[in-house]
Amino acid sequence: MRVEVSGLTKSFGAVRAVSDLGFTVEPGSVTGFLGPNGAGKTTTLRMLLGLVRPDSGTATFDGVPYAALPAPVHTVGAVLETAFHPARSGLNHLRVYCRAAGLPQERADAVLAQVGLTDAGGRRAGGYSLGMRQRLALATALLGNPAVLVLDEPANGLDPEGIQWLRGFLRYLAHEEGRTVLVSSHLLSEVEQTVDRVVIVGAGRLVREGSMDQLRSGAEGAGTVLVRSPQAARLAELLRAEGVQVSAGEDGGLTVHGRSSADVGARAFAAGVELHELRPHSSGLEEIYFQLTAGQEQYAAPAAGEGTR
Amino acid sequence: MTGLVRAEWLKLFSTRFWIGVLIGGCLMTAGFSVLFTALAGVAQEGQPALPEVGTPAFEELALSVAANASVFLLILGIIGMTQEYRHKTAVPTFLTTPDRGRVVAAKLLAYAVVAVPFTLLLLAVNVAVVAVAAGARGDAPSLTGDNVRTVAMSGLVLVLFTVIGVGVGALVRSQVGAVVGALVYLYVVEPLVALIGAIQGVYKWLPGGAVQAVTSDFQAPELLEPWQGALLLLGYGLVAALLGALFAVRRDVG
Repeated sequence: MRVEVSGLTKSFGAVRAVSDLGFTVEPGSVTGFLGPNGAGKTTTLRMLLGLVRPDSGTATFDGVPYAALPAPVHTVGAVLETAFHPARSGLNHLRVYCRAAGLPQERADAVLAQVGLTDAGGRRAGGYSLGMRQRLALATALLGNPAVLVLDEPANGLDPEGIQWLRGFLRYLAHEEGRTVLVSSHLLSEVEQTVDRVVIVGAGRLVREGSMDQLRSGAEGAGTVLVRSPQAARLAELLRAEGVQVSAGEDGGLTVHGRSSADVGARAFAAGVELHELRPHSSGLEEIYFQLTAGQEQYAAPAAGEGTR
Repeated sequence: MTGLVRAEWLKLFSTRFWIGVLIGGCLMTAGFSVLFTALAGVAQEGQPALPEVGTPAFEELALSVAANASVFLLILGIIGMTQEYRHKTAVPTFLTTPDRGRVVAAKLLAYAVVAVPFTLLLLAVNVAVVAVAAGARGDAPSLTGDNVRTVAMSGLVLVLFTVIGVGVGALVRSQVGAVVGALVYLYVVEPLVALIGAIQGVYKWLPGGAVQAVTSDFQAPELLEPWQGALLLLGYGLVAALLGALFAVRRDVG
């Protein structure tokens, strides 16, 4: 099932939260919905789910807006803020929505098992850890076995093990079961290993949409190698003589463009140049994400050391 | 709709809040029953005495004290609705049922039905305690004629206040705001209106005035006829429900 957002606009008073936003989310893949805090991600997801009324534009599931879906819980499952009554047990929480959606009560037990909360099902949800709450929210979203999953910052509060589990789970749901998964985050690094496609927003507008590979190929710093050597000048000269682009990197190191680290190492070895460090540069995604969204935080803090005196 | 109503019942009975409401309501009803019977006919300085035990006026007053516990059922309704916003469960609730009008309708229906056994319990406590206490003073009221009507009207008040509570909760959404607002209204605003001569005429049109019209008119300013009061209360219940549904449908969530 394809999710399509088109021309979506929403203002809260004088603040324009989302501005003429359009993108699509494809089935069978995990799509990351990225942007700094305040970029309009949550508002967009709430409009997608019919909780917030857009000023203009549409958000549809195979052409049908959420409110008009004939079987919403079978179509879309959503994890927004964790929402449960603290005095109600996790199992009863799920049973409430089973009843409301006309699902058999056994679905509640099934989804609890799916997220690994079976043993905690009888306990009051108020006593759950942050990670367990996220799992309960995910279980709620899975009740109707939906074709589309929408998750707003699901990694918040999860420990490293929980994040690892979530990544695997989302990939399984999309790649093995063919579901459409849309997951928002303000950190690219958090979802970098999970998502196939990205939709990046800043200040309520679309900044970039495409596959991770497309994003990577456009990343500055992609395919570079960082070298550190006591004979840096000589190495640079040597490489430039062979037509390789070299620039001064951080802390006196060199950044070599368009060559693998093996290639650079071999040349240095052949020329007898001593190397202290040789490593491929980070994918550079974090940098491009930062560039794409720079200056678009609603409330920016001064850089360290600035504005304190 | 059956599923939605049953979901509301599970929400209500899967926390212990309802037990507190019942205990509070029973204690209040029993307490007032004992108090009114004990003070019946006893002259107090500066205050007119309550009617003597055995008089129709006493029996009407004593058998309608359960209606005072309507505040507990009002709060039951308010919290039943506002907890959805307080604990953010409005999101999964409205995601499961995007037609929010149906959600509010189911909640109104679920709480109206639940209010019936709750109300019967409170009425039973009222009648039993008054029977024992007034019996000890020589004249237990009989459950016939006007007394049955009084008890039944008091029951109607209790059920309608539950429905009004759900409507108020949908309008106000803030749990603390709705509960505090309702208490201030019932215990400060209405008594003041009833007390101040210039605006006293308005009192009979207020929910409190309508309650007194259908139950006991003891020490009340001018009131409507009982059947008019019952209609007025019903009207308040319907208006609260309709406005609540309308607001829940139109407003953004979260």
